[in-house]
Amino acid sequence: MAALKHFLLRVVVTLLLLAVPVLGVWTFTEADRWGLWFPPIVSSYGASIDKLFYLILWMVTVTFIGTEALLVWFVFRYSKKDPTRAIFTHGNHKLEMIWTAIPAVLLVIVAISQMEAWTTVKMNFPTEGPYTPEKPLMEVYASQFDWRVRYPDAQGNFTGADVIEVPYDITVPEDTKVVLRLKSRDVLHSFFVPTFRLKQDAVPGMDIPVWFEATEPGSYDLICAELCGWGHYKMAGKIHVLPKDEFDAWLAAKRAALYATD
Amino acid sequence: MIQCRNRRAAALAAALSFPVLACEFNPGAAELSYSLNRPVIEQNQDLARDAGAQAQLAGALEMLFGTAASPRFLAEPEWIEGGFDPNYWGEDLVKNDDALRASLEASNRATFAAQIAAIEAGTFDAVARPRHADDLWGWWEELKAEKSGDAAGLKSEGIALFAEYYPSLRASAALYRNQCYHCHGAEGGGDGSTSAFLEPRPRDYRPGKFKFTALKGKARPRHEDLFRILAEGIYTTAMPSFRRFSDAQLHGLVDYVRLLAIRGETEILLASFYEPDEGLNFANVQENYLDVVSKWRAAPEQLIAFEGPVPESTPERIAHGRALFTTPGDKGGANCVSCHGEGGRGDGPSVNDPKQSTDDWGRPIAPRDLTRGVYRFGRRPIDLFRRIYAGINGTPMPEHIGMTITENGQQRTMTEDDIWDLVFFVRSLATHAPAVAQHGGGHGGDLGGGH
Repeated sequence: MAALKHFLLRVVVTLLLLAVPVLGVWTFTEADRWGLWFPPIVSSYGASIDKLFYLILWMVTVTFIGTEALLVWFVFRYSKKDPTRAIFTHGNHKLEMIWTAIPAVLLVIVAISQMEAWTTVKMNFPTEGPYTPEKPLMEVYASQFDWRVRYPDAQGNFTGADVIEVPYDITVPEDTKVVLRLKSRDVLHSFFVPTFRLKQDAVPGMDIPVWFEATEPGSYDLICAELCGWGHYKMAGKIHVLPKDEFDAWLAAKRAALYATD
Repeated sequence: MIQCRNRRAAALAAALSFPVLACEFNPGAAELSYSLNRPVIEQNQDLARDAGAQAQLAGALEMLFGTAASPRFLAEPEWIEGGFDPNYWGEDLVKNDDALRASLEASNRATFAAQIAAIEAGTFDAVARPRHADDLWGWWEELKAEKSGDAAGLKSEGIALFAEYYPSLRASAALYRNQCYHCHGAEGGGDGSTSAFLEPRPRDYRPGKFKFTALKGKARPRHEDLFRILAEGIYTTAMPSFRRFSDAQLHGLVDYVRLLAIRGETEILLASFYEPDEGLNFANVQENYLDVVSKWRAAPEQLIAFEGPVPESTPERIAHGRALFTTPGDKGGANCVSCHGEGGRGDGPSVNDPKQSTDDWGRPIAPRDLTRGVYRFGRRPIDLFRRIYAGINGTPMPEHIGMTITENGQQRTMTEDDIWDLVFFVRSLATHAPAVAQHGGGHGGDLGGGH
């Protein structure tokens, strides 16, 4: 009777423990339905970032399920009342080799897989087309606690009185490789556009080129992804992607509005 | 023994989880209340000593402006007869202006797109509660109850309700509490908990002194002036752009800021005129209240209007502007050089003069470095024109229209044309990018000081 009670207790504890990883994995399978998964991709390189995410997610999933299964099994297997004395063991060379080699191989796989995405996003800036790092569409100034974008005057200068300056709203053309230069006026900020899968820190003292090509017209969230002070939560913006001709009209209207007298 | 330990562990786990399970996490809005303007009370010794009179003052202010949770203006009967109700001040202004009303509706339709789509589809129960618009939600629920059997009516009136939404003072006070209070304080005294970290400090609305308006002299700001500050922010200060809220919400915030400013100025007047023998009588309170409100109502008349396009900048005009700018006052020039310096870098000789480097709020202030192309009131030529025309309220930057200057041995007063020449010269100075933080540099360039 006592033995049966003990067995049932082992089963219950094991099942309770098993429920934790099962529920954890289940939230991942359901997240999309709950609207907790990724927003749509609207940049040319967004898919390559997601691919990396999924690669790592699968690696982690397999490892997680494997280790959790072992853990649950051990909890069940070794909670049996057993009069045998435990043996002392001082490591196992073969095991050490295996659990060093496998993560090392995985790390190399991750390192090699990310190279293309990294060079695309952070190194291969457009060299031709309307905007290049030398001739960017705009400058974005991050400061506590807002984003301000500066478009050059009609001659392409970023200094001078005819520069267009807009807070909060960043307007860019669709299907165009857009380059901006990111600066911080004070502390670290991070320029994060989830739908573009783009994140770049704004570092005080640095002038950092950033590029993207938006593929769908619409308005997308820009958020600061680096805790920058007490007002970090309100440091938001919008990126408005317009068809090319509408963008040109918008910029022309902005330039004209500079000379309004209302 | 083992069983006993298990029981204890279970009891411990239950005890630990009890506070989590028993407490409902529901952080409601903080309750604010208006306090009296202490520094102003202290200035009047009679009032500072008289707790009864202070209570009377607080009561008078509550009668005129309500409480922080439920602010409102006491509307004078003759105002209502004349078609003016300060409780609908901004709303009437916006809805009587076709262009403004159209932009308000467009902004509302974008903000409440999901709600309007749900109403159009006839799924009234699927309309989601909008954020920061409790009054709108209340009106929608009332409308839903009223038109329960009339789907077509509910549809058309519901869409109109969301599209034409203009927040009540009460809803705007709640938004203020959420977004502005921590810097500007409950009474708009610029003394919120984060204000001490900032340079320049947040505006104290209570003296009715606002730096950035498009108006002559020391006029109170117009609705449009305050709206613009909320929408654009003030570059290089801690005042950010609040464009993430709808236009309607920003208009509502303007209304609430105006209420706080009028309340604060009325309080200052009542406190300064308080006499122990006379006390606060209703006529006195009313007179001061009417006086302050009339100043705010008169603001639009003070607009520095300019008809027609911005004149063309020519080398001759820039040269004339340079001459005015760089000639000191004692030689008959506009004397800009004394603060802004020969090259406009904000390094003129007066920066060492304590009187010229302190503003009306007692804070240190530096002249703008004009080579950076950073203009806090806006970078349009008309903005610079108005800034030079009227100066900056509360700072050493003076009014220039009508200033006496001497040219070619002739004494005359400065005209609008002279001011345009100064504008063109100042614009020609903008040859550098805005200052940014430097490696190891501590403060970020032109973040502090300046006007």
